[in-house]
Amino acid sequence: MNEIALLSRRAVREIVKLPAATLPTLFIPLFFLAVNIGQVSRTFNSDNAPFLFGQDYVAFAVPVSLVFAVSTATSGLALVTDIDLGYFDKLLVAPIRRTSIVLGRLAADFVRGLATSTLVLLLGLAFGMRIASGVGGAVLIVLLAAMWGVAYAGIGQAIALKTRNVQTTNASFIIFFPLLFLTPNFVPFDLLAEPMQTLARFNPVSYVIEGLRSLILEGFVLADVAACLAVILVSGTLLTFLSLRALANYDKD
Amino acid sequence: MSGPAVLTEQLRRRFGDTEAVAGVDLEVAPGEVFGFLGPNGAGKTTTVRMLCTLLVPSGGRALVAGHDVAQDPSAVRRAIGVALQEVGLDPLQTGRELLELQAGLYRVPKPRDRAAELLALVGLTDAADRRVKGYSGGMKRRLDLATALVHAPQVLFLDEPTTGLDVTSRITVWDEVRRINAEGTTIFLTTQYLEEADQLCNRLAIIDGGRLVAEGTPDGLKSELGADVVTVGLGRNGTKQALRAAVENVAGVDHVVDTEGGVAAYVTNGAAAVPLVVRALDEAGVEVGTVSISRPTLDDVFLEATGRSLEESAQEQVKA
Repeated sequence: MNEIALLSRRAVREIVKLPAATLPTLFIPLFFLAVNIGQVSRTFNSDNAPFLFGQDYVAFAVPVSLVFAVSTATSGLALVTDIDLGYFDKLLVAPIRRTSIVLGRLAADFVRGLATSTLVLLLGLAFGMRIASGVGGAVLIVLLAAMWGVAYAGIGQAIALKTRNVQTTNASFIIFFPLLFLTPNFVPFDLLAEPMQTLARFNPVSYVIEGLRSLILEGFVLADVAACLAVILVSGTLLTFLSLRALANYDKD
Repeated sequence: MSGPAVLTEQLRRRFGDTEAVAGVDLEVAPGEVFGFLGPNGAGKTTTVRMLCTLLVPSGGRALVAGHDVAQDPSAVRRAIGVALQEVGLDPLQTGRELLELQAGLYRVPKPRDRAAELLALVGLTDAADRRVKGYSGGMKRRLDLATALVHAPQVLFLDEPTTGLDVTSRITVWDEVRRINAEGTTIFLTTQYLEEADQLCNRLAIIDGGRLVAEGTPDGLKSELGADVVTVGLGRNGTKQALRAAVENVAGVDHVVDTEGGVAAYVTNGAAAVPLVVRALDEAGVEVGTVSISRPTLDDVFLEATGRSLEESAQEQVKA
């Protein structure tokens, strides 16, 4: 088994052994899903809101919960805990490519993303949501959400490696709020007031939500899915690069 | 390994304006147990971290198992085992999982068998499937040592391996170090415990303020100080200045070093010197609390080299 697989297996084992680190990250998206549906579903319904494409508001809200569920600092926190406990040094002196330390964690983030996004999607289905793009679309939704989780994890990892500080890494969740709330999360772009609409259009996370949403509400809309995938790939590449650069400079500080 | 196991030439490391390691020259022969002594903050751990490729040197050169730590860190990592001061273990994993992972990362054939072998070696077979967070301090230290041994390293770095351990666990670790060394592994050991250095090390070096202040075999370093040490403790009304002045002029006294509560006089013949010291103090009117005679210890070596005892250094560190 190669080193990325070995380290990834260890990180997955960590997720299984410490559910207390993952379960709270599911609480927020599920709470928002319940609150949004409770507050808005009578205001927007299939009769008065064409952006729901004949579905209940839950179908509009689930993509937001999907993105919430996978956008966590959990893997950054696990990494900074390794640094804090001295285990990270043990990995650094092992004759492995150092990139595998970061990539092993990201691979585990992908597995975690698959599990949590499947759970959120199943919950949406239980609340009456339908997936317009069918089973293939559902698989694509889970994959895209998990990939976004990997991209987002780069923020926590880069902060963990740069600061080596648990509190600072933990505080990185603050980035979560502007990134995930300056989006068309309650209503579509067109219904957002200015300057919120402009801000949301500049926020790349909007296109991740819109891509997932299109698969649920409309079916396969190539432009939306392509934009979603492009944002994930570009941000994932950039953030992983930042993590790897922080790791490359780690023993110079 | 044909050359030295560890060789440093003017090794330096700077953190901002502070030079933590200021030009250290070391040579450790293959098969040696080499002790690296010094108070906290003296530069021991910084030196070890550079030798283990965890810190890039600011200057000078270091070779470990013949490989340059800056030019070929991968080759160094393949040749070394490391157990750092802070036990580097993942508390969520079991001992067995940790060792199997470690063996896998070092590409050791049959990682499961190697893990089982090492667990037996460090006496943790019964606890192998328990999570590490439930281990005692001694068990964690032994497991940490086992993780450093998965690939049978040529050079093993042990950074204060017994700090915080009880006496029984400390002796277990010492036995393990002797056993590993007997199999041919060179050991580079940092410690704050002089007894540990005396028990384990063939040779040692003392570092203080980032510079080497003494180097040699434990017996050689002790014998350099003289045959005996006469330690004089001040009485309630005595002054250290007067005490020192009186003792320095006694025949047979080689040199005098201040201690926390008095002075230590290094003499060629302790039995002959004691009456002379007592008479000189009496004549000078210096009130004396205690007078004792002993063979020089590594603490005396440390005191001579750094100007303070290791215990005083530790206390300074705590106050800082």
